[in-house]
Amino acid sequence: MRVCDLLTSSAQKAPERTALLHGDRSVSYGELEGLSNRIARLLAESGLEPGDRVLVVMENSMESAAAYYGILKAGCVSVEIHDRTTPSEAQYYVKNSGAKACILSRTASSRLSDIDAEVVLSQGEIQAVASRIVIPWAQIEAMDSTRPDISVPEDALAAIVYTSGSTGAPKGVMLSHRNLCTNTAAIVSYLGLTSADRVMAVLPFYYVYGKTLLNTHVMAGGSVVINNRFAFPNAVIKEMVDKEVTGFAGVPSTFAILMNRSIFPSTTIPTLRYVTQAGGAMAPALTRRVIEHLKGVPLFVMYGATEASARLTYLPPDRLVTDKLGSIGIPIPGVEVTVRDDQGNVLGHGEVGNICAQGPNIMQGYWQDPDETAKALKPWGLVTGDLGHKDAEGFIFLTGRKKEMLKIGGERVSPKEIEDAIIASGMVHESAVIGHPDELLSEVPAAFVVPLGEDGFHLAALQRYIAGRLAPHKHPKYWHVLRAMPKKPSGKIDKEALKHELLHKVRTA
Amino acid sequence: MPDVRDTVTTFIRENFIAGRIDVAIDSDQSLIESGIMDSTGVLELVEYLETTFEIKVADEELVPENLETINNIIRFLASKGVSS
Repeated sequence: MRVCDLLTSSAQKAPERTALLHGDRSVSYGELEGLSNRIARLLAESGLEPGDRVLVVMENSMESAAAYYGILKAGCVSVEIHDRTTPSEAQYYVKNSGAKACILSRTASSRLSDIDAEVVLSQGEIQAVASRIVIPWAQIEAMDSTRPDISVPEDALAAIVYTSGSTGAPKGVMLSHRNLCTNTAAIVSYLGLTSADRVMAVLPFYYVYGKTLLNTHVMAGGSVVINNRFAFPNAVIKEMVDKEVTGFAGVPSTFAILMNRSIFPSTTIPTLRYVTQAGGAMAPALTRRVIEHLKGVPLFVMYGATEASARLTYLPPDRLVTDKLGSIGIPIPGVEVTVRDDQGNVLGHGEVGNICAQGPNIMQGYWQDPDETAKALKPWGLVTGDLGHKDAEGFIFLTGRKKEMLKIGGERVSPKEIEDAIIASGMVHESAVIGHPDELLSEVPAAFVVPLGEDGFHLAALQRYIAGRLAPHKHPKYWHVLRAMPKKPSGKIDKEALKHELLHKVRTA
Repeated sequence: MPDVRDTVTTFIRENFIAGRIDVAIDSDQSLIESGIMDSTGVLELVEYLETTFEIKVADEELVPENLETINNIIRFLASKGVSS
């Protein structure tokens, strides 16, 4: 089974059934199958071969879903990135993945008009230059709508998903068709998804959690409601009622917004059958409020990693309510999760150690990065970087992160990437970025900087520079200008001291 | 009293696009679709409107008709008795 076969299979079973709904538009399985087949043919005709990487910069849409399955049907590898990526970030991804082609939405095309890929398929107008072929989106219509005869093995690479690493530069997680299909099947099974299910998707498809919403519902023959406007949660809630959704998925910040600043607490969604939460630990107090409001609609608390295709564990909703609040649950079908010491020895109940996982969903490695791959993939499985323990019943509890990665609204961001960008401005001597607790996003970046000279430093100029260089969620929310950084004896910046200072309100610029 | 439109536009410019003057903000342009504001941005804006203009924004009022564009925000503020 390949990921694109999930779509073909559902399209063969019930071509007329609704696959996706977006605003006033909807598309059936038959239509989505046809559109993705056309995209596959267009890519193949443009010279792309199995194994070639295709960068995708699109917000969630019917077209982005079709592009994903189309890329896979062409035997190519999907490389989806944040739709607000800046030109310099996009260039890194093109270069690092060696993407031969790039697919841009209308809004992305206006920002990334200079993207350096051999073939660019764009929903917006882009100028052709000598070094690249630009294909307008309308050209898809001219293609045959039958699936091209291109097949790749199940172990072939299906996607490279970039995730921030402790070394700063984002690493490409290599996921095969088998990785994704087995994980999708496991999720369909524990959520009990059927063709009657309809999920509200506010999470982006470039993010593995968001992508599971698409793939699981396509596998089950259900439907996905796309809404990219969670900025207006009330409109999303109303659409959930109007479109009769059965499922909803969110990260902790999604639920913070729903419970604190929306009509969610006073609204009943009659068709809602289940809710899922992943993307970082949610404060138990908030989880309790969500459960209370859901009045018996099960809440699935889940845990995973990009390196695990998405999902590793889930907490059966009845146990969340009775006695396991705070646990990330038990392994999903087909996956083994263990707690080990640094040498790989399995630890006993209650002992804190590295959370490790084995299963058919574990990545093939990091793209062209054998060193990082060797650190993450041990003979005993994936070392997630999270620390935790198991209780006597085998329920897993997380205690912290081994690395210092920030988790901003469910997205992992490396502090080093932000620090590097600040330093690159040439305006500061030193920079350090740490996480600042945030009710909505779990945490947000807080930056400490030491200006290069006493005179002539303008924080606003540095902020403008960062705004042009990093995606918005990576912009520090708090800035602190220091005369000197606290240092450890080794000479490294003492981030613990900075955290302490942050708590005691240092001089704010 | 400073112009309401200028005040709101300046806040959006300074907080969401870091004061960049090379990014044009059209009064009828969607602040969401254009990527200027995201879900937390809307909440930051609402907090700002509440403190600056001493108004209360109900959760029911967090809708596109009131907050999607600068013109919508100005109309919404006028409905709350805030005008230049």
